[in-house]
Amino acid sequence: MQSPPDERRTFPVKHGGDGNADEVVRQNVLLTRLQDLVAWGRKYSIWPFNFGLSCCYVEMATSLTSRYDIARFGSEVIRSTPREADLMVIAGTVFIKVAPVIRRLHEQMMAPRWVVSMGSCANSGGMYDIYSVVQGVDRFLPVDVYVPGCPPSPMALMEGLLLLSKAMGQEKRPLSWVAGAQGVYRPAPTSQRDLKRPERQRATELRSPDEV
Amino acid sequence: MNAVSEIVQELQTKFSGVPLEPQATRDGIPTLWAPKERLSEILRYLKTEAQRPYRMLYDLCAVDERERTHRQGQPESDFTVIYHLLSFERNEDLRIKVALKGEFPSIPTVTDLWPAANWYECETWDMFGIGFPGHPHLRRLLMPATWQGHPLRKEHPARATEMEPFQLSDDKQAAEEEALKFRPEEWGMKRTGEDTDFMFLNVGPHHPGTHGLLRIVLQLDGEVIVDAVPDIGFHHRGAEKMAERQSWHTFIPYTDRIDYLGGVMNNLAYVLAVEKLAGIVVPERAQVIRVMLSELFRLASHLVWYGTFAADVGAMSPVFYMFNDRERIFEIIGAICGGRMHPNWFRIGGVAQDLPRGWDKLVREFLRHMPSRLLEYDRMVMRNPVFKARTAGIGRFTKDQAVEWGMTGPGLRACGFEWDFRKKRPYSGYERFEFDIPTAQNGDSYDRAVVRVAEMHQSLRIIAQCVSDMPAGPCKSDHPLATPPIKERTMHDIETLIAHFLSVSWGPVIPAGEAFFGIEATKGNNGYYLVSDGSTVSYRTRIRTPSFPHIQMLPLMCRGRMLADLFAILGSIDFVLADVDR
Repeated sequence: MQSPPDERRTFPVKHGGDGNADEVVRQNVLLTRLQDLVAWGRKYSIWPFNFGLSCCYVEMATSLTSRYDIARFGSEVIRSTPREADLMVIAGTVFIKVAPVIRRLHEQMMAPRWVVSMGSCANSGGMYDIYSVVQGVDRFLPVDVYVPGCPPSPMALMEGLLLLSKAMGQEKRPLSWVAGAQGVYRPAPTSQRDLKRPERQRATELRSPDEV
Repeated sequence: MNAVSEIVQELQTKFSGVPLEPQATRDGIPTLWAPKERLSEILRYLKTEAQRPYRMLYDLCAVDERERTHRQGQPESDFTVIYHLLSFERNEDLRIKVALKGEFPSIPTVTDLWPAANWYECETWDMFGIGFPGHPHLRRLLMPATWQGHPLRKEHPARATEMEPFQLSDDKQAAEEEALKFRPEEWGMKRTGEDTDFMFLNVGPHHPGTHGLLRIVLQLDGEVIVDAVPDIGFHHRGAEKMAERQSWHTFIPYTDRIDYLGGVMNNLAYVLAVEKLAGIVVPERAQVIRVMLSELFRLASHLVWYGTFAADVGAMSPVFYMFNDRERIFEIIGAICGGRMHPNWFRIGGVAQDLPRGWDKLVREFLRHMPSRLLEYDRMVMRNPVFKARTAGIGRFTKDQAVEWGMTGPGLRACGFEWDFRKKRPYSGYERFEFDIPTAQNGDSYDRAVVRVAEMHQSLRIIAQCVSDMPAGPCKSDHPLATPPIKERTMHDIETLIAHFLSVSWGPVIPAGEAFFGIEATKGNNGYYLVSDGSTVSYRTRIRTPSFPHIQMLPLMCRGRMLADLFAILGSIDFVLADVDR
């Protein structure tokens, strides 16, 4: 909850006891709603469930290693039990045989919980329009972020994670099931393809495949 | 063809009143049609009595022949069951085929002869509905127990979108979970021992130590494993059925995803089989590019195994170092192929594109960097006393057991058996490289690691030779069936344009016939057995993967060991679930 840089310039940090009461309060007291504070805490400590289905999981594991280092975003704490995790990354193909298992594991995660669908198979079945594969995990689970790719690179997964983190910060969830408004407010998801299209269309020079 | 007729003649003399019809195949593997009634006798002879016997049941599969048109000279058959045997002494394969008639035929089991036939027969029952009377426990292996139909039969739909949209109601959820419940009685297991109640522990299908969707049910006496039942099929992507609808060319990306750590190594086994079927000779440069990329992927795959195996037995840090080196390999792969894990880079008749300018600098840098890293990992992992204590003497088996169960690759070589297809049956120009086949003696988890680590040094040697002696010339065959076709041949007249257009849109028409090609992949012998009916798609594609028999062998390796040893054994097998279930 940093204030923007220009605002900080107007209130330079002073040492000693010559500041007035307003200034001291501004420097030391953070005023926020509890609901926002909780959302802020959640968005910087997303604990993923150590759960993988197929090829995508290898790239998900790669995002934990030094070159990519998902710890930069507070998500290196992978949990091997669903009861301690907030995020389930559906990393790989959703097989009909394993669908009941996935649903059971998702149910075992405590709310609030989020789902990232990683890779084409989990998004839509991808290249596996075949008898043993569910055509997208959203046929039986709510999905918060879809990450495209086959498999998506670790970078792509981390972009998905950041999108989720941003959305989590804007979520409003009731702090009590007795007091206050009930129901979860979620910002509407945005299509990255639409957002990035103008920039992508401006590209005129593509790297030649003849050079490394 | 002399060597081919040798075993055929031998069998025909031995079984002189039995109609044994030879069949010519494109791969030159002696193929004989045997009558169902005499099958076990013939197989028993081949395995136990013959000189230089066929001791390994390399593969067992079936073909639904009901819609096949090009079957000249072959006995009438609705379903054919194929036994693919391997003789190490002869360095030869043998294919015994049995013709079966009827909608749901059956054939006596061979599990009494080869315990390894157990899963193969279950798979054949699951996929084709062919029964195996006498089988100890015939069941669905890959599909859920509740599945209706047998997917590889021609009348079974291939696409999910041809079937009812998937829904997971509460009732279905409950029914599926009930079907997954383990009942020891069904497996002939006792719930109580002499003075103990056994505990049945369910490991997986979701468990960090199983490296994917594998379920193992353990019968435990305290912490000692009495027996184990691996339950597979959670990762069945229907690759074999997929091959019956993708063109010969567009199936290549699916092969990348079989052993998904092996990348283009999978392409290699497949395109070599197609090329054999089509009679395509690949130019030298393409061969060497293929070898170089395959060996890079062997390194990448072994690095993943190295790190995760160390993690399995408690060493947290090695995996971070090894994944970093894997990234270095991916930098090269990315620069050449543009992809990471699944580059889909090999083509029928060559590779997708020539090497980019400056590739050799990248590879040379890597070759300079890697040896010292491997030495450091030796200190970090292989010489680590904890690692040694956890793996030495664990998960032991003998060479004979390995052969009996169909084990190939580093697992077989760790039993002191120097057997590597790259040396024994050089393919794709491996005969031009100098390298050694590392072996070890004890056949335990530690020795399997020793072999893989030594193999990484050999891979570096091969890659270095690829860099220094990369031949000049085309990277694509000019055979008319090479795909995609050469662009220069088009735009001459309407004929050349049409030929090009058809080859690009429908893909090549591969001549009718059958061919198998096996290679030394990252995890063992990976092979494709292709049946072409003279069309743009394969009539039947059988993928012989190493991990399938290796996982079947798991109970043998972990009986009598402690529960914690299970993960020291699993990690040492180096399997990929997509390679088990396909």
